[in-house]
Amino acid sequence: MGQPNKIRFAPQWTAQAQFAGYYVALEKGYYTEAGIDVEIIYPNAGKSVLNLLEAGEADIVSLFLTTGIKSKCNGVDLVNIGQISQHPATMIVARKSDSIFHLSDLNHEKIAVWKSGFDELPRWLIAKNNLDVEWVPVLSSVNLFLAGGVKAMAVMWYNEYNQILNSGVDESELSCFFLSDFGLDIPEDGLYCLDHTRKEKGELIAKFLQATLRGWEYARSNQDYTVDLVIGKMKQAHISANRTHQKWMLEKTLELIKLGTKKVSPGELCKDDYLITADLLYQQGFISVKIPYEDFFQPVKNPHP
Amino acid sequence: MKQTSLSYHIIRNVLLFCLALFFFTFLVNYYFTRNTIKETTQVNAVLLADKTVSRIEQELLTVQTIPQNLVWMLESANLPKDSISNFLKRIVQNNPNIYGTTIAFEPYYFIQEGRYYAPYAYRDGDTIKTMKLGSESYEYFFMDWYQIPGMLQKPYWTEPYFDEGGGNIVMSTYSVPFYRYEKGKRLLAGVVTVDISLEWLTKIIQSVKIFDTGYAFLLSANGVIVSHPNREYIMNETVFTIARERADDHLVEIGRGMVTGKSNFTFVDLPTGGNYSMYYTSLLSNKWSLGVIYPNREMYAPLKHITILLFAIIIGGLFLLSAFIIQIVNRITAPLKQFALSAKTIASGNFNTQLPGIKTHDEMLELHNSFEFMQKSLADYVVQIQQTTSAKEKIESELRIAREIQMSMIPHIFPAFPNIPQIDLFAILQPAKEVGGDLYDFFFIDDTRLCFVIGDVSGKGVPASLFMAVTRTLLRSVADKKDTPADIITKLNKSLSFNNESCMFVTFFLGIIDINTGEVEYSNAGHNPFILIQSGNNSHYRKMGSGMVLGAFEDIKYINERLTLNHNDAIFMYTDGVTEAMNHQQHLYGEKRLLELIQRSGSMAIPELVDETLNDLSGFVNGNEQSDDITILALRFH
Repeated sequence: MGQPNKIRFAPQWTAQAQFAGYYVALEKGYYTEAGIDVEIIYPNAGKSVLNLLEAGEADIVSLFLTTGIKSKCNGVDLVNIGQISQHPATMIVARKSDSIFHLSDLNHEKIAVWKSGFDELPRWLIAKNNLDVEWVPVLSSVNLFLAGGVKAMAVMWYNEYNQILNSGVDESELSCFFLSDFGLDIPEDGLYCLDHTRKEKGELIAKFLQATLRGWEYARSNQDYTVDLVIGKMKQAHISANRTHQKWMLEKTLELIKLGTKKVSPGELCKDDYLITADLLYQQGFISVKIPYEDFFQPVKNPHP
Repeated sequence: MKQTSLSYHIIRNVLLFCLALFFFTFLVNYYFTRNTIKETTQVNAVLLADKTVSRIEQELLTVQTIPQNLVWMLESANLPKDSISNFLKRIVQNNPNIYGTTIAFEPYYFIQEGRYYAPYAYRDGDTIKTMKLGSESYEYFFMDWYQIPGMLQKPYWTEPYFDEGGGNIVMSTYSVPFYRYEKGKRLLAGVVTVDISLEWLTKIIQSVKIFDTGYAFLLSANGVIVSHPNREYIMNETVFTIARERADDHLVEIGRGMVTGKSNFTFVDLPTGGNYSMYYTSLLSNKWSLGVIYPNREMYAPLKHITILLFAIIIGGLFLLSAFIIQIVNRITAPLKQFALSAKTIASGNFNTQLPGIKTHDEMLELHNSFEFMQKSLADYVVQIQQTTSAKEKIESELRIAREIQMSMIPHIFPAFPNIPQIDLFAILQPAKEVGGDLYDFFFIDDTRLCFVIGDVSGKGVPASLFMAVTRTLLRSVADKKDTPADIITKLNKSLSFNNESCMFVTFFLGIIDINTGEVEYSNAGHNPFILIQSGNNSHYRKMGSGMVLGAFEDIKYINERLTLNHNDAIFMYTDGVTEAMNHQQHLYGEKRLLELIQRSGSMAIPELVDETLNDLSGFVNGNEQSDDITILALRFH
């Protein structure tokens, strides 16, 4: 739709440092250099990012791996064209003063989890450890946990965890259960587009990925600049922002983007990770069919290296 | 310059003392005042904060009663379902501080309404509208204002949020859960809420002024900044995000104190610089907290001002004090300067200088009177001295004349008898003063007999010289060629003793030598024995009768003694002015020393011998004052 070199990109939430790389690439002109005219749009209460993708209002979106797999299995004809995050940020947090030190202490307790999805991993973690909990769906804030309405909450390390810290709780008062502590080092944020979009705008898509990775690299070496940029965007959108939180978010997001010991190149989805995740979802009953890796991860090879 | 130094000493000491005193007083005052200011300000800050909290609480409590009342009505089934909307509308209408209110029910509470039933009345400009909350995209069951009071089973004030209208008004919602009872079990029926704008609260907080730049701020239960002079902070930062950005652990502590409902007085360092004092306390109704901050600099500003003022006064005062002291000292010492000048003028001889007048009756007047007396006394004294001196000069000139007369009385031409080779004679007389009492004489009593005399009147000076003159005159008049020495002396004594009311006497020695034979006849009246110089180192004191001094007793018979001089023998006569001459060590020249000299130099010619004797004597005396007349008469026989 529209100009031949235009890409509409939608991150899965509102503007924040979790999507810093895209802002940097846009601001520094990496997309322009690559010959792409990028417009960033956002989901809202009425339209989720998946809606935007399906409706064709966004060409490329950012999604969790679990969401991507689930959607594809449910019939949405999307493909993963680039894996940005390589490690999970999902974790469960609880207060030590509630006598919760081990995951097993959560048995029979109430755990808050996002109603809007992305709850597959926490649920899997609890189920895997044979615990019986009451899942309390919450919309987005950590206030229920802070007010003491639930003993634990599933949070993202780069976001809600820090919100708890910013409300006066000290890290030493919390018991943290990272997904990776339990043997699950699977990626999260990735780039997705509809299959036909991939066919139509293949080259652009490859360039988009490359420019995006460049953006993330620049952000890594220029974090202060990046935080300022992000805060500027948030203020424009009248979203509450402060340096402390965005700085934390950027740092942790960059951590998760690092390859670590994974034998992949930047932007590549590790096959093992995909298979583990698909298997996990299948076991939990979230999906009824396992799609082959090659069908799922279809990056566009860049003809001009 | 002397005056300045007197002023200087007084000023310096007084100033130093004053400085020390002022400084000490100042320090005491400073610390006391500083402490008082600090405590008073603390009390004020606490009062201000508490007052502000009261105002806010009052409003909040008023608001809280509405949903609480509604809950009561609902639970006692006094609110029919159909009238809920209107009722809510009336509530908003009658409560200007309420923005909106809803009664939100549990899912499918009213089967016919479906899953969601939450009538909501709200202000829209000047009108009040109603609507129904709840849809697939607005699942209110999972929103904080519903879920949290439902799960906590108690009323809940939400964290502040911006209103949906985009008007940037900060709002908060108060929710109260209500219940139904089924089979004895209490079940959640729903939640009653009121939404209030926090504009009035922001105004109250902003109106808090303490000093110039002090302010108040408000935190939500989670530490979110609800009101603050820095608008950037509001709803963006929590006290903890600020503390973490500044890496300020103390601020973290303060934040934790605040969100846990404590009250405390503490300090805080702001990036704008300077120390700030802070008091925080909390609102009981919604667990929000209030902090009041004020800069110590401004708190102590009046102290600084008064310190500067005090210093200015002190320094000004000290300068004034110095000026006064200089003035006073100068006024007092001005006459002193004049006294000093007067003293100089008086010393130079002008005794009539005007002394400075003293008007005060104090030590200066005493000084003036003493000075005046001294001046007069000096003048009188000088006149006296002048008179005495001129009298003295007169006497001295008369004495000089008297000396000339006296010296002319005794034969003073030497050699005395150049035509008579048998006799070598020399004499000297050195009076101790201008005139003296010693005498010598020699004269031919007849053709062949030479009379020679030496004598010493008692005392010295004018009386002795007068007596000496009398004696010498008498001698010449009573000496007859028929007389022996004793005869002459006897006659002399008689005359001298007669009418000797002054009781003076004279030692006297008289000898007569026959110039052809060398026979000497002599008589002594109390005088020192002569030294007989004989050739062959044989000089010695001639033994003789001592005799009574002349002038003491009238009827004394004197006796003659004899001696024959050989060729070159000599007679050396002297008065006790020689033998009793004293040096500085009070040693006497002595007979022994005289004899030794004569024995050494006896072979000298008579004038040289006398000279030698005088030299030796003066050498011995070594400048000591001559206390008696010195007379020497020596003659040699050839």
